[in-house]
Amino acid sequence: MNRIIDNRSRRKFIKNALSVSASSAVAPWVLNFAALGEAAAAGANDYKALVCVFLYGGNDYANTLVPYDASSYAQYQALRPNLAYAFPSLAGTALNPTQAPVDKAGVVRQYALAPELAPLLPLFNDGKMGVLLNVGNLIQPVTKEQYLANSAPLPAKLFSHNDQQSEWQSSGPEGTTTGWAGRMQDLLTSGSSKDIFSCVNVYGNAVFLSGLTSSQYQVTKNGPVALNSANSLFGSYAAAKVMQSVMTAASRHPLESDYANVMMQALTANQMLTAALNSAPAIGTPFPTGNSLAEQLKMVARMASVAPTLGIKRQVFFVALNGFDNHDNLATTHPQLLTSVATALSSFYNATAELGMASAITAFTASDFGRTLTVNSDGSDHGWGSMHFMLGGAVKGRRFYGVPPIVASNGPDDVGQGRLLPTTAVDQYAATLGKWFGLTETQLLGALPNLSNYAQATRDIGFMA
Amino acid sequence: MTTNNPLAQLLTSVKAKTLTLIGDGAGNSTTANISDAEASRFLAQASMGATRAEMARVQSLGYAGWMDAQFALPQAQSRWDWLVVRGFSATTHRHSENGFDAASWCKLLNAPDTLRQRIALALSEILVVGIDGLSGGWRAFTAAHYQDILENNAFGNYRKLLEEVTLSPAMGEWLTYKGNLKANPASGALPDENYAREIMQLFTIGLVQLNLDGTPKLVGGVQQYAYRQADVMGLARVWTGWDWDFTGGNSATPDFQGRPMRQIPARCESGQKEFLGTAIPAGTDGRTSMKMALDALFNHPNVGPFIGKQLIQRLVTSNPSPAYVGRVASIFNNDGNGVRGNLRAVVKAILLDYEARNTVNNTSSFGKLREPMLRFANWARACNAISASGNWAVGNTSDPGTRLGQSPLRSPTVFNFFRPGYVPPNTAMGNAGLMAPEFQITNASSVVGYVNFMQRVVSNGIGDVRGDYSTLLPLAKNAQTLLNEINLVLAAGQVSTANLAAMAGAVNGMPVNSDAALNRRVQAALLMVLASPEYIVQK
Repeated sequence: MNRIIDNRSRRKFIKNALSVSASSAVAPWVLNFAALGEAAAAGANDYKALVCVFLYGGNDYANTLVPYDASSYAQYQALRPNLAYAFPSLAGTALNPTQAPVDKAGVVRQYALAPELAPLLPLFNDGKMGVLLNVGNLIQPVTKEQYLANSAPLPAKLFSHNDQQSEWQSSGPEGTTTGWAGRMQDLLTSGSSKDIFSCVNVYGNAVFLSGLTSSQYQVTKNGPVALNSANSLFGSYAAAKVMQSVMTAASRHPLESDYANVMMQALTANQMLTAALNSAPAIGTPFPTGNSLAEQLKMVARMASVAPTLGIKRQVFFVALNGFDNHDNLATTHPQLLTSVATALSSFYNATAELGMASAITAFTASDFGRTLTVNSDGSDHGWGSMHFMLGGAVKGRRFYGVPPIVASNGPDDVGQGRLLPTTAVDQYAATLGKWFGLTETQLLGALPNLSNYAQATRDIGFMA
Repeated sequence: MTTNNPLAQLLTSVKAKTLTLIGDGAGNSTTANISDAEASRFLAQASMGATRAEMARVQSLGYAGWMDAQFALPQAQSRWDWLVVRGFSATTHRHSENGFDAASWCKLLNAPDTLRQRIALALSEILVVGIDGLSGGWRAFTAAHYQDILENNAFGNYRKLLEEVTLSPAMGEWLTYKGNLKANPASGALPDENYAREIMQLFTIGLVQLNLDGTPKLVGGVQQYAYRQADVMGLARVWTGWDWDFTGGNSATPDFQGRPMRQIPARCESGQKEFLGTAIPAGTDGRTSMKMALDALFNHPNVGPFIGKQLIQRLVTSNPSPAYVGRVASIFNNDGNGVRGNLRAVVKAILLDYEARNTVNNTSSFGKLREPMLRFANWARACNAISASGNWAVGNTSDPGTRLGQSPLRSPTVFNFFRPGYVPPNTAMGNAGLMAPEFQITNASSVVGYVNFMQRVVSNGIGDVRGDYSTLLPLAKNAQTLLNEINLVLAAGQVSTANLAAMAGAVNGMPVNSDAALNRRVQAALLMVLASPEYIVQK
């Protein structure tokens, strides 16, 4: 798959820093803060951030956004009697959009949020949250007939967790080394020192945030990790300095150099970010405790709040929650996960509003794949298309986007057991976000290798102001 | 050869007179005098960490002889028994994980059968279970029993291992087929597909058809899927009717978590089960169906290269040549006596291969990132660390910001802490198209978290696990000698002369006027080596 722009002559910031440091007597991680100040002045008024909320394991779409019109609900209930939410329990979270979603047959459909998603209802009603129907990994538009005849290109290794996670984030199966957020940042950032924070992961590692020149920076939910022995190793200043020099030294062995680069990035970023966070505004919005996703999102809000100080204009964040592979025990486990998601996202939106940054920050959900609509004993299995949420002051909310799928097993919109054949591609989802983020059409086509397979008028789904 | 250790010198001189040839002309290396550095390097691949004593044994017995001696070692007390002896089978622990991490670390840091521990650890990262995903109570026992299964079969046959894994309550709970029901035509419910998919994708054949050398089979330049959704659905019918065996008891004691799951015919799919060209006839009972399914998977030509390559990656190098994979896969397919799946033979083939033993002609990217669990174990082994109480209270080391970012049998998903095919983005390795699995848990938080953790461990120990520096303290006044020794045992001599000299310069500036001061010299020297990329990358 050579669809991705190859430009290895551009070297990422951290490698430049490393090569400079090799001959420098100054500690290699010390950067020029004067330059940062200039950048801060330039970037204060035009900040935007994208926040990818990845639900690892493949979120069960039917128990997230529940079919609510009478005929759809009846089908849903019949196909998963032991997992279906009771109809009356959905009344409080039924969605009342400004434009009713209409399926391919012209029938108006209704949906309700799972009751545990109730904290998101006010955001939907306030027009701050939109819903994208049946989105998934695609190379190009595919009909069910084409799928069954295997006559159209499909994403590699469908239904496999790790590969579909990778497809979602990077447009290629596991082993792909650039993700679409990283590629967007390659095009939007300037290659200066502040770019160390252009792609921030508060969860772990994700290909989503890596470009050819952009690298992810990982930070814990509590902030950057400082080296305890920075100034003294068992009482010795000299030993501390030698250790840091050795840890960050270039080497002829690529693995050693790569490892040293990560250490260099860590030491550099810690110094810059710790100083900035120390002067960050306090966030008064309460976040739920014991909720990993909420803790990660609070860190995102804190980092966004110091973006002007750090001179950052465009920033992508990645947060995630694991545990959505509910083959088993779905009726117990999945509602707990949804509670975590809803309370975390709701707090996060409120925090961005408190910071006066709600319209500058757009969060959106993603997941490996959707799941089956039919059940196994007490769970659902790997699927394809799914439902997702976009959240922020710049989202044209209280609306559905995409096409409502027919609720069925082996119906016109699924490839068996309610595994939805996506009618909207992740590339369209990404292009809509990317356009808001500031990429030109040409840049979007560069960052999203499958986008050109979609007619120009369909590339922007329209959910961003 | 130079060595500071009188025992090693003695053994080396003895060995020189009784040198035997172990090469077999099929890619395997021949042994000559094994230097200290070579012995240490071998142990980095073949054990939980080099020690002076094991280095001497390798030099005395030769590589193959050392492995034979390791194969013959009795296993220490099982993790299950360790938990029972320490009272963790009391009802108060039923809904906890108490004791589990200690039982794991006790083995990894201390058990004499160091090769078996290394292979069991490697298998736990291929046939992955994570204790956090266990559901049935007595999680410490369920997980400990699973590790015992991996340890018991580390030198056994992969087919038997696969069956014990399949019937373990741990796997049944983790991949959700414990309690799985046959299809229900009335409700439309179908069997859970989880285990059917993952046993194929991760434990046996992988996603695409492979050549013997592990490269994908191409037809017209296109990779060929090893299975399709229909195969998943067909095989899912086999994993029905399995549940805990409460024979002679109930869930008030952990015993049922240590028994193979039983088969309940009324819940088991009795119709025909078709997958991968195998058809298990209608009416075949659940246990027979299970055996037929495992036979079919085990005999698939992908298994040798698929599992063999991952074992090479866990022990020796992230990017083995196709020829190396092919040699190991051939031994998997036939150990020379017509036996398929002989792990003892596979382990020998991996570690005696020319590509593993050679130190001269390998590519410039040869080797692997030592995973954090192994770095910690390397320190413990090299420094003969012990837990005076026997409690081994290391705990869960999963937090990347403050600990190791990894802990035994605590992978968050069945896809392990890292994927064998992981290509790190925006790195020299990635730009060269090379894999570096351990890089998937390497980031700005975990690299610093590791150094901070090891700083605490080196100086204060963890729990009451303490390093014994009595052999290093006499060297502490001469920093270069001290660092040479640490470099040799911990890093197989792979820290460069220039970096060693810089480290020695710093240590030589540290006081020597008390035992505490000498201890600080030892600790500083240890941490500088442990933090060095030249150590962290095993070559």
